[in-house]
Amino acid sequence: MFVILYYDVGVKRVSKMLKVCRKYLTWVQNSVFEGEISYSNLERLKSEIGRIIKDEDSVVIYVFNQMLYSKREVLGKDKKEETKFL
Amino acid sequence: MKETIYIFSAGTLKREDNSLVFITEENQKKHIPVENLKEIFVFGEVNLNKRLIEFLSKKEIMISFFNHYGFYVGSFYPREHYNSGFMILKQAQYYIDNEKRIYIAKKIVEGAARNSLKILRYYKNRGRKLDNHISEIEKNVEKIFRIEEIPKLMQVEGKIKKIYYESFNEIINSSGFKFTKRGRRPPIDRINALISFSNSLIYSIVLREIYATHLDPRIGYLHSTNFRRFSLNLDIAEIFKPIIGDRTIFSVINKNIIGVKDFEKSLNRVFLNDRGKRKFIEILEKRLNETVKLRKIGRNVSYRTLIRMELYKLEKHLLEDEVYEPLIMEW
Repeated sequence: MFVILYYDVGVKRVSKMLKVCRKYLTWVQNSVFEGEISYSNLERLKSEIGRIIKDEDSVVIYVFNQMLYSKREVLGKDKKEETKFL
Repeated sequence: MKETIYIFSAGTLKREDNSLVFITEENQKKHIPVENLKEIFVFGEVNLNKRLIEFLSKKEIMISFFNHYGFYVGSFYPREHYNSGFMILKQAQYYIDNEKRIYIAKKIVEGAARNSLKILRYYKNRGRKLDNHISEIEKNVEKIFRIEEIPKLMQVEGKIKKIYYESFNEIINSSGFKFTKRGRRPPIDRINALISFSNSLIYSIVLREIYATHLDPRIGYLHSTNFRRFSLNLDIAEIFKPIIGDRTIFSVINKNIIGVKDFEKSLNRVFLNDRGKRKFIEILEKRLNETVKLRKIGRNVSYRTLIRMELYKLEKHLLEDEVYEPLIMEW
């Protein structure tokens, strides 16, 4: 499945979040990630995030079972990098 | 589905923050989501260290290297995680017993031949003159069942391959591509270069799938086990070369995706340049992820999963659970 994830966390935890999310997903913009992920890996990611965040932090994950009827549009520069072919 | 990444540029691959990062020569950092990674194919000049190898082993990621000409150099095959002494014994038992070995070997040759025939018939229905090739191959397929020795089987296999490759000239309709004869070291023409490149890729893809099963890649049945290298992946690849590799070759040429410009000549060999390799991989990758509906299980599976299923079938055969029958394209 495909997910879009974004977070708003305290300054102290920003870099921790970045590192954890980079393990599973592709970076798109500051505090925004997207990418294909398996069900089990999503659960793992959620538990890792759960250990970092505090009560006042917020993380939002959109989960798509399939990408039919969806379109990705970018205005300006697309900061997402190609990682399949390097 | 875990991903494969292909590295063409020069740079350093390293472990960072419990994930992977590729640093290009221009010092640009590209982060690779490690948890979603299955294997890495390296074509460029990449620096790496033991720390990275350790990490890849822990994450069960296989890394394969290819030389400048696109030939397979070798793989880092992480410490086997599905290690089974019982399975190795069974595999060896079926190798040593000639009767048992030749059964599997024959089935592999038969599978490869029947899949080639499927492709030829497909193009015949599209008006290519392939009747002679088809009947010649069919004649040779019948011979397979009467053979009792491996060397004889190899001969018949070679003959089938020869006729099959000769049919390429009928299938391909581009003036820049002409098949003369199969020559591997070095590839003598553009089609040979494509075949060699595609085979190298398929060998390592099959190897990666073997890693996910209990089988040991060092014991093959059609290809003899020797002191040097893996042979089971070469066996299983035979079945998939026509289905995955050759069909990709036909579509990249006939659809003009790869042209004369994507090849390089040096000394007396012809090979794909980086742009050509990349284009070929993109199409091959698309094919691997494409799904087909299998009548037997009534659900859609990708070509990659088909490779895995073939290995499970072999496992079952070795465990005397179900007799091995090769995958023959029914679509």
